[in-house]
Amino acid sequence: MTVDETEQAPGAAKEGGAPRKLERDEVFVEFTKSVCPLCKTPVDAQINIRENKVYLRKRCKEHGPFEALVYGDAEEYMSSARFNKPGTIPLTFQTEVKDGCPSDCGLCPEHKQHACLGIIEVNTGCNLDCPICFADSGHQPGGTSRTESGGGYSITHEQCERMLDVFVESEGEAEVVMFSGGEPTIHKHILDFVDLAQDRPIRNVNLNTNGIRLATDKRFVAELAERNRTPGRSVNVYLQFDGFDERTHREIRGRDLRSHKQRALDNCAEAGLTVTLVAAVERGLNEHELGDIVEFGIDHPAVRSVALQPVTHSGRHVQFDPLNRLTNPDVIRLINAQRPQWFQKGDFFPVPCCFPTCRSITYLLVDGEPGNRTVVPIPRLLQVEDYLDYVTNRVMPDDGIREALEKLWSASAFMGTETTEEKLRATAQALDCEEACGIDLPEAVKDLNDRAFMIVVQDFQDPYTLNVKQLMKCCVEEITPDGRLIPFCAYNSVGYREQVREVMSGVPVAQVVPNALPLAERLAPTPYGSKTARAATGQESTP
Amino acid sequence: MNQHPAGEEMKALKACCAAAYSSDVVGLLLGDSYHPGGTTLTRRLADALTLTPGRRVLDVASGRGTTAMLLAGAYDVRVDGVDYSAANTALAQEAARRAGLARTARFVTGDAEQLPCPDGEFDAVVCECALCTFPDKAEAATEFARVLRPGGRLGLTDVTVDPGRLPSEFTGLGAHIACIADARPLPEYTRILAAAGLRTLRTERHDQAMLRMIDQIEARLNLLRMTAPEKLAAGGIDLDAAPAVLSAARTAVAEGAIGYALIIAVKSS
Repeated sequence: MTVDETEQAPGAAKEGGAPRKLERDEVFVEFTKSVCPLCKTPVDAQINIRENKVYLRKRCKEHGPFEALVYGDAEEYMSSARFNKPGTIPLTFQTEVKDGCPSDCGLCPEHKQHACLGIIEVNTGCNLDCPICFADSGHQPGGTSRTESGGGYSITHEQCERMLDVFVESEGEAEVVMFSGGEPTIHKHILDFVDLAQDRPIRNVNLNTNGIRLATDKRFVAELAERNRTPGRSVNVYLQFDGFDERTHREIRGRDLRSHKQRALDNCAEAGLTVTLVAAVERGLNEHELGDIVEFGIDHPAVRSVALQPVTHSGRHVQFDPLNRLTNPDVIRLINAQRPQWFQKGDFFPVPCCFPTCRSITYLLVDGEPGNRTVVPIPRLLQVEDYLDYVTNRVMPDDGIREALEKLWSASAFMGTETTEEKLRATAQALDCEEACGIDLPEAVKDLNDRAFMIVVQDFQDPYTLNVKQLMKCCVEEITPDGRLIPFCAYNSVGYREQVREVMSGVPVAQVVPNALPLAERLAPTPYGSKTARAATGQESTP
Repeated sequence: MNQHPAGEEMKALKACCAAAYSSDVVGLLLGDSYHPGGTTLTRRLADALTLTPGRRVLDVASGRGTTAMLLAGAYDVRVDGVDYSAANTALAQEAARRAGLARTARFVTGDAEQLPCPDGEFDAVVCECALCTFPDKAEAATEFARVLRPGGRLGLTDVTVDPGRLPSEFTGLGAHIACIADARPLPEYTRILAAAGLRTLRTERHDQAMLRMIDQIEARLNLLRMTAPEKLAAGGIDLDAAPAVLSAARTAVAEGAIGYALIIAVKSS
């Protein structure tokens, strides 16, 4: 067989007439599966490293090649593999293995982890129409008082009970359920739903909200606070909080909500509710505000943690470049750069319960007054990696430190829950001081709780970045009204969200496609503000 | 500071080191099982010792038994730990019992310069972050060689210093206990070993581990400042002076005046 010029490999060079083989400019490290962002068909994918960054590349035979940045630090991507905790098998599975991941959700028996966190979306309606919303929620078109007519839905008591029961059947004793939406606080039965959760063996409820009702309805805040005092149970607030610039608010939320956020927080503080500030972080919008958000959180009495999440490019969002998106290491670098007096490389540690590249966490112990803080990241107090290295370290003697750290570095860890507080205490107590200097640290750290602060960095996957390797160990599950537990990133990336919405609303829902720069020519708007594949150039298939 | 104390003075210093190691700043803040590099470096050290199941290993200055238990657990070897402090021996024994390793990780109280072990007994000797504190390093090295079988390996991790460039903060007795004042340059360690019949096979620099240790000291100082400032003061720790000392230490590491090294040596057959 002969090879002529035209068949030569791309990049091949000639020197003095003889063909010369060239090196590839990337290191191929994994073969995996993903989906086509346009038609959601499962496709083969590869993970490659270029210039210390990790990229996922795939090709759909119908729609061509796609590539996205998935991790901004290749060295950490590779080294974090050690911190991959063996999964725990849930008590029940809801589906069978039929077509393989990610088409059998879920959870199917091939899933590698139980649900650390269950999410119940109680509605699709919202009192905002944010330009960025992975759930494609809002004041739905066509719907006046009945959002249903516009392709939206709200769950009933019966549906909520079923969803909670499925979660409990799978978990036994569940750690956390999160009510989300839409905007869950505008569901007229949301307090009943909290009660339904508290009536079951579910220790903690999280309410994921934009805060408008918390800012304007003190009675509602008082009702939540009362439920937060239920013995053995907690109710915590997961408050959307993207920054302080007016532009940040307008471009991410469509409205300047700064005074609402402040009032919501003050009302929570007054009522004794613990709050996590949750920022959707987008390049060119609010990436400069991360340090300010952390510091504001530390200073506000209601806030005990901050979650920083690169914008999930599913549902509705502003146009983005998949090769230059924010990933966990990028967010961590921004935090370090914006508060160098507090943070340095190594202060965040990957979470072992899910895939370690999905989520990184740090805990801080904070002292002093606003403006003059002493901040001690817990990973500097002890060598966390000595305890959470599951590949080489199985036989390390352990006096409870590993267990405490596992509970802290987990997707079910939330400030304000008993488990997290208790494990923080256990960790501080395990620091080897008393023998040495006679300081009774357990006694001394009893009141540390109020000084402990948590920062979570979580990069959710989207149809561009989806890697089934991560998906198969996902421990954050969407609980569906038909009684399935679907990994959050599958729900948003593979088409499950659209299917559930279609069934629940009775209105056809188009497959959502990321609003990615390279796809601009191939997209058309949906009624909810997200994008879908443009039909004109041919029939786009759906799974 | 390269003058070695002798006689009674040396004995007093040794006792002081062992008893006070756990009440000096490092021991106080990090616990005396601590050494730079943690268990990751211990594993790296162990991997170079060609350990196979059932082999005999001596851990000199075994502290609370962390290294010994790791070797017994992960490498399936029989480890004897020797420490100068009887309190540490008891703690290590208890830890091994709790870990179910009481039969393969045993601990006795003894002097590194006069090891309570027969000649040629061990396939490997490990000594982590301790040789630098021994007043008579040549004698300790001779003892390592004596208890090793011919062809047996020594694994050391230790603080290194370039004495000429050590900042003044690190030259007093406090620094001695904190491993620094009597630490040596890496070539001097290998010379000491060579003189005892231990031929160096490999050396590695792990200076990053020192920076990590300095971060950890600072973090724990801050934790104690939050929780028990009065006791910290009573322990003679000057919190106001800490930032300058820590900063000097970081600079010294960055400039190569203080570091951490791994050494693998073999006893000539």
